[in-house]
Amino acid sequence: MILRKMIVENFRQFRGRQEIEFLAPFLPHHNVTVVFGENGRGKTGLFRAIMFCLFGERRLSQDGDVPREELQLVNVSVLEANAGQPVRTSVELEFTHKGQSYRLRRAILGMQDGKRIIEEEDEKRLFVITSDGNTKTIPTTEIDVVIDNILDRRVKDYFLFDGEKIERLTRARIEQRREISAGIRNLLNVDALETAIRAVGRVSKELERELSNSSHEELSRLLKRLSDNEEEQTQLCKRVDDLADEIRHARQEVDKTDNELNKFNEIRHLLEKRKSLEQDLKDQEQQADDALTGMHNLVCKASALIVSPTVINVFEHIERQKQKGEIPSEIRRDLIERILADDKCICGRGILKDPAAHSHIRDWQKRTSDVATQDAALNLWRYLSEVRNHFGDDTDLLEKRLQQYGNIRSAIANINRSLENVSNQIGTSERQDATKLDEHRRKLQDDIITLEANARNAQTLLEQLKQEEDRLRALLKEERLKVGRNDELSRRSILARDTQDALKGVHDQFTQEIKQLIGHSATQLFRKLLDKEGRENLRTIVVNNDYSLQVLDRYKKPFLANISAGQRQIMSISFIAALARAASRGGQIEIPLFMDTPFGRLSFEHRQNLINHIPTFASQWILLATDTEFRRQEANLLKTSGRWGKFFILRSTYDGNTLIEEQDINSALAILRNEED
Amino acid sequence: MKMDGKIRVATDARYKELYNNMKSSGTVGDFHELFFVCACMGYRRKKSIPIKKRDDRFWSSTITPAEWACYYAMILEQNEFDYVKVSEDKELLTVIEGYANAGIDILIEEFLKDYLLPISKSSDPQLDPPCCKELPKQFVHFIFEQSESETWDN
Repeated sequence: MILRKMIVENFRQFRGRQEIEFLAPFLPHHNVTVVFGENGRGKTGLFRAIMFCLFGERRLSQDGDVPREELQLVNVSVLEANAGQPVRTSVELEFTHKGQSYRLRRAILGMQDGKRIIEEEDEKRLFVITSDGNTKTIPTTEIDVVIDNILDRRVKDYFLFDGEKIERLTRARIEQRREISAGIRNLLNVDALETAIRAVGRVSKELERELSNSSHEELSRLLKRLSDNEEEQTQLCKRVDDLADEIRHARQEVDKTDNELNKFNEIRHLLEKRKSLEQDLKDQEQQADDALTGMHNLVCKASALIVSPTVINVFEHIERQKQKGEIPSEIRRDLIERILADDKCICGRGILKDPAAHSHIRDWQKRTSDVATQDAALNLWRYLSEVRNHFGDDTDLLEKRLQQYGNIRSAIANINRSLENVSNQIGTSERQDATKLDEHRRKLQDDIITLEANARNAQTLLEQLKQEEDRLRALLKEERLKVGRNDELSRRSILARDTQDALKGVHDQFTQEIKQLIGHSATQLFRKLLDKEGRENLRTIVVNNDYSLQVLDRYKKPFLANISAGQRQIMSISFIAALARAASRGGQIEIPLFMDTPFGRLSFEHRQNLINHIPTFASQWILLATDTEFRRQEANLLKTSGRWGKFFILRSTYDGNTLIEEQDINSALAILRNEED
Repeated sequence: MKMDGKIRVATDARYKELYNNMKSSGTVGDFHELFFVCACMGYRRKKSIPIKKRDDRFWSSTITPAEWACYYAMILEQNEFDYVKVSEDKELLTVIEGYANAGIDILIEEFLKDYLLPISKSSDPQLDPPCCKELPKQFVHFIFEQSESETWDN
């Protein structure tokens, strides 16, 4: 998708009909557009216009729980001038996708009725301009499907985003990850394969149902158990989903309560403190979880320490044998045995005649062992030497990790104490209503903890059921073979199950590979976009199974909890770019990067890297920037890159509205401010 | 001492659930790790209990060289450095299975019992998931304490 033009009419602070042409004609490589405006001029209004036009959404993720009536889209001054009359507001977007041109228009009607403003949806139209120049109208009922196929709404926040908020991608909660994961699978076309797996699964289940009525007792019993197991898994999956929904609702309720509590000015600083403490708590708990996850790697090291006296004792014994020349022995055991058997020394003398010599040779025989045993003893000596050499380091490592974990737990306990203290201060406020709200909030927090524990347990149970299912399937396969492949029903059932397993295998391998590919590609870009210091510390981005992100440091240890908000933003952008690259099969990204407040949290070196690299891998980059983040320095860099095509300024008018004004990019440098300013 | 990877290593059937639980809870990475812990515990206390009902648990190919080295060391020390006793891996692992079987009892009695569902005569030991959030850390801590303990039961 390439955005070409947007026309807004009476939308938010844009009075009348105004347009932005994103691409400079005849300059396809000038793929960067900058919309520049001070705070409050309507940059986010343009972002809102895109979201509204494409997906009909009025609420952006940053709106939180702002009441719907406060999110009105119709221009207020036009409404006031036409009080009692309907006013039409519309956004029209022209874009191309895979060689076809589209024109999408969405409109609403608004009317001021006294103090109340009424808004209702009016028009939604999508035209496709085909390659032969004809225009095709898409039926209204199909518009959302067509748009979703171009840019899935579940991943829209990946490509149309607020730069300062996108770093939240790295903190996505379980329930958000679920939705993101579904969107990504659609973007990568994995969901078609999943549909096929489900279809074959249904056929297989039907055949197994028929088989379970057959006369083979053991087969029927196994199929019954398998069917029960699957039923239990379905129920449990539903329970996991329900719990995720409940958690999401509870969190929304907490946010809502916080907004209410924010109204009490006198306790605002306490509320902010509590929020910050809660964030710290979350970070520490994440660190504790990470530390716990890595604990199992220490089990074997710790266990070897239990038998360290034995390891040292045996090592020293073999060492002594080596020093005495018993391992490897000075004389080969097979040679001594031959001398004794032949009764002939290597010099030719008979040894039985010389009791002293005979006794010496017998002693040698006792001290030596066969070659294989000697080799094995030497190997063992080497392995024990390695195990023994690690004892010191392992002890230090174990002490360090346990200490680290203890520190985290103690930090959590301290934060909890501070939280309780702050909550008590909030609670003892004279405002009775604030106290009640606060109690409600505490109860919600308790509910969330219980729900999260239940979700974890359900997940564990689900994994156990999956293991049991694998075991039952293996038994079933054996039993079917016993019953015989000649049985037509059994043969068909095996074939269906094998097909399903094969499809699952393809699916698992594909998703695994795609995650590795995205991780690899994201890492490459991440390293290009990071500043020097970041490049030294941060090495690899890893895409986890649930599509959450992790970053590894130079020691390959998880480091996400310690990186800055700016680095998180860079990491999220790298992931988005890698995702889009994977979706476009390794080619250039066919999705625009539409970034509101792109540089707010970034250092100059990060900005420089973004400006140098993003235009080369994204087909289009649209920046909505303020005067503090887009200065003469950034503009100079962008100009030098040769990719900057269009520049717009949002100017305020006398009546509080905003005018979109196109400027030549050369004049931008005169308008923008210097760092020193 | 070939580190033979084709041997089925068994535990008593009644610990099957517990082995599964310890793995799925992330307390140990794989069965051979828990088996190693148990064997070390059993050997350290010089306790061996023959398995009543054998239940194959894992392939010996998953045992790491360091673990093998410790098993050989245990058997050599126990048999006054008679290399013949460590020449057959299958027989050696049978002896180690006895130590691991005793070791898991010690583990349950001294540590895991607080994390288990109530054990009745008819039920096998199983972890109680809600109690197990900190189990990975406590488990490592317990093992580490054992290594630091000076007491050897002879």
